[in-house]
Amino acid sequence: MAFNALFFNELFDIFSKQDGYQLAQTLSPDIPTEELRRICRSHNAHSIKGALKRGLSAPAVGLDHQELQGWVEVYAAYWSATGVILAARDSNSDSSRSSDLLWTKVYEAWTELLNVLLRGYQSWGFEAWTIPCLYVVCNHLRIFAMQADKERNNNSSFDDAAAALQDDFDPETNKRQKLEDCARVLSRVFMVCQTDRAPLEESRKWGSYYIANLLLKTYFKLNSASLSKNILNSLRAGGRDMPEFSAFPKSQRVTFKYHEGVLAFLEENYVLAEQCLTDALNLCHKDAKRNKELILTYLIPCHLIKSHTLPTEELLERFPRLQKLFLPLCQCIKRGELHKFDLALQEGEDEFVKRRIYLTLERGRDIALRNLLRKVFLARGFEEAKEGEKPARRTRVPVSEFAAAISLGSQEKIDNDEVECLLANMIYKGHMKGYISRQHGIVVLSKSGAFPGTNV
Amino acid sequence: MMPTWPTPPAPGTQPSTSYTASYSAPAFTPVQVRQSFGQSYSTPQPPYSVAHTYGPSHPPAPSAANIATNVNPAPPAAQEQAKTKIDWPDSVRRYVQRAFIPANLDSSVTRADMEAKLKETITQANEKNIMYSLDWDTMPLPQQMIREERARASLPLHSKSQAQGPTQAPGTKKRKSWDLTDAAAVHSASATPPWRAGAGAGRLEDRVTFSPDRRQGDELPKHTSKFNRADKRQKRHEGEYTTYREDTPPPGDGPVVGTCQDLEKRYLRLTAAPKPSQVRPPHILRQTLELLKKRWKKDQNYSYICDQFKSMRQDLTVQRIRDDFTVEVYEIHARIALEKGDLGEYNQCQSQLKGLYRLGLKGKTNEFKAYRILYYIHTANRTELNNALADLTAAEKKDKAIKHALDVRSALALGNYHRFFQLYNETPNMGAYLMDMFVGRERLAALCNICKGYKMDVPLRFVTEELYFESDVEAAQFILDHEGQDLLEDRSGTILFLTGKAGSRFEGARAKAFSRVDIKGQI
Repeated sequence: MAFNALFFNELFDIFSKQDGYQLAQTLSPDIPTEELRRICRSHNAHSIKGALKRGLSAPAVGLDHQELQGWVEVYAAYWSATGVILAARDSNSDSSRSSDLLWTKVYEAWTELLNVLLRGYQSWGFEAWTIPCLYVVCNHLRIFAMQADKERNNNSSFDDAAAALQDDFDPETNKRQKLEDCARVLSRVFMVCQTDRAPLEESRKWGSYYIANLLLKTYFKLNSASLSKNILNSLRAGGRDMPEFSAFPKSQRVTFKYHEGVLAFLEENYVLAEQCLTDALNLCHKDAKRNKELILTYLIPCHLIKSHTLPTEELLERFPRLQKLFLPLCQCIKRGELHKFDLALQEGEDEFVKRRIYLTLERGRDIALRNLLRKVFLARGFEEAKEGEKPARRTRVPVSEFAAAISLGSQEKIDNDEVECLLANMIYKGHMKGYISRQHGIVVLSKSGAFPGTNV
Repeated sequence: MMPTWPTPPAPGTQPSTSYTASYSAPAFTPVQVRQSFGQSYSTPQPPYSVAHTYGPSHPPAPSAANIATNVNPAPPAAQEQAKTKIDWPDSVRRYVQRAFIPANLDSSVTRADMEAKLKETITQANEKNIMYSLDWDTMPLPQQMIREERARASLPLHSKSQAQGPTQAPGTKKRKSWDLTDAAAVHSASATPPWRAGAGAGRLEDRVTFSPDRRQGDELPKHTSKFNRADKRQKRHEGEYTTYREDTPPPGDGPVVGTCQDLEKRYLRLTAAPKPSQVRPPHILRQTLELLKKRWKKDQNYSYICDQFKSMRQDLTVQRIRDDFTVEVYEIHARIALEKGDLGEYNQCQSQLKGLYRLGLKGKTNEFKAYRILYYIHTANRTELNNALADLTAAEKKDKAIKHALDVRSALALGNYHRFFQLYNETPNMGAYLMDMFVGRERLAALCNICKGYKMDVPLRFVTEELYFESDVEAAQFILDHEGQDLLEDRSGTILFLTGKAGSRFEGARAKAFSRVDIKGQI
């Protein structure tokens, strides 16, 4: 494809069908290098705008003067970007010329394209059906930003000692400056979509969730999940004026619910997290294994905290990565192996911390402990049954027996005061019903349901 | 009002040699939460005279005498001087009026700047007691003073760098005159300083292209700086700048090289480019640090120390000094601020230190990482806590202080108050000051646990021990303070804490204590 008669015919076709996604494809940089080169070589800087104007002003395309002007600018900006993209791609294949920050140039050219496109919506009256163009351009902006950051960080000669001399310096910030810039640009795009006052049928509001998803993704990457709150708030505040959530494409809904769920998870709002992640999982395409894996990474700890349920082995079997992550812990919890649980948690610590589930999984120790204590209780057996009555369990358990059980795994002596502390905790959190009598060194457990939710 | 202290010795009179001898005693001493409790345990208990009610005025029990140290930080010494009411003489009033006559106004000087200058001038006059003797009618107006200062600020700096830099490229003369015209241009076009440059990047770039460390005489950046400066000048003449930002001094030309020989200097927020004559070079600052360490040990005057450290930090910043010494200054200031519970300053120091350590500078990295973790526990900042965990290397996790902080975190996460209070007693370095900030709420949480878990009662001594109170009296007082008057009972010489009766008595206080922690300069 080049900017020739064939191309303009295709455009005419797209415009008459109002097919936004197909239009967006004409602005994608993600095409074979040869094709990109054809576009780039089809014109030069002098001829490009004239050619576009002639091509687009065919009455059949049906653009008014302003729109025409806008699309000429957009395709001209796209054309200039192709030049730098080609240069970057070429230098990647031969690494000797990597002295320039080529991807930074690509990022800048692409930002320019996005700016022109945005102006199209703000002042040249681009119609809402063309919104997918924003999707494609924004998505690649993010990709180029990451590439630019990566290139700069790999290139030690651009390691600015410069930035280190600012007053409030943070070497980390410098490492991802383009991505941070990208986040700012995207949030502007988000506002342009979000604040459109046109009637719903032709509103840019339909773009809100796609852009919000990109933005959330970027914030997560930048480790500033806290900024995401603003996006969620803005979407919630616009609730009444927004189209029904269910009217958005499924793919956007899954992604959004996932992000919303993870954010709630990070704020320890497990109720909301569980709900959002469950929604996401149910909406998720059956073959989107990686996405399901991501959702489950947070949903499983949620269930552990909320309803003390563990994933079944069948479920884990379908996701080897999750199995590796969770199975050891789950087994320890189920069997009440406290010490092994500690070891498993330690073993997976780096991975858990990276995924930000460590602090939540750690609380699974309570469940492991409960299961262990329950075993002690069961092992005590029954009181001697009275005539004609059902035998009752022995509900008075010496603290020392619990202590013995706790130190069984680690073989480390634990003093009774600490055991009592752990027991008091179990009682306080409702994992165990009963009370400690310090005077007698025993625990008196409830006759009915000493361990709620476990049938004893 | 600023607190007062002995005026610094005049330059020259201070025998600077007396401080060059290295004085390496640390300015702080590690604290222990409680030194001994066990001894009082074996001695027979004094009979408590109270049966059912512990009056708030209960006399301290003899066992309290065993308490060695009390670490609760005293509230920052408020040495605020009483504001004296001043009767302004007419001459001063006239002077102020004259300054604001429209004809005298200068568009390059903002009103805020003028007011600041006025205030400064008058306050100085008042402090020197020359308010009445001064001839206010011939006094230069604040806008004039500011203009002169601006012009002055750029001059000495250049002559200085000229004298210093053997690498100075030709064209220095031109540069000088350029800057003079700059000043004029600023006035005529009501222009603003260059850091407002539209592109935003302008300011940082011209700052950073200068040699980061003059002592090294790095040649390359100086050359590049020429270009940038030319750009900058160009831009200025295009009259791009239309707003004036207050409080920030116009950017100097690269780092200042100080010449001040005074050891002490009061902190003053810069409103103009720093004057080399008022900035202390590194070798002086080193002496200052030793002096301040001594002073702190001797006088413990926090407002003085804090002010001095701030001015030291300022001198380091304006000279762009970032080395191991900088780290030391921030570390010591952080420790002192911590000791005095000044979280604002502490946080400033910590965030600078974080960056400095990242640059690879040496310091007590582990000690301060441990503080950071404890601080995040205090502010219940889960996200940052996770980040902090992610940043730790395996070796760091084994470090004593960091391991302690991690253990504290895990004990709290699992509700193991028994372990938590043991750790509280074993806190290395100055972490106890941080832990003091949340030990109260953890005691409440533990008390809630105990009330729910134990029936019918437990000895008060048990509470004292489990929650590491200094004494039974303190434990009792804590219970009383949270409306547990009727929960203490004397039964044949033993004080009992009636957990069975407590119900959810302490839940409210607990919830309140755990609700949002809001701290100045929170990180």
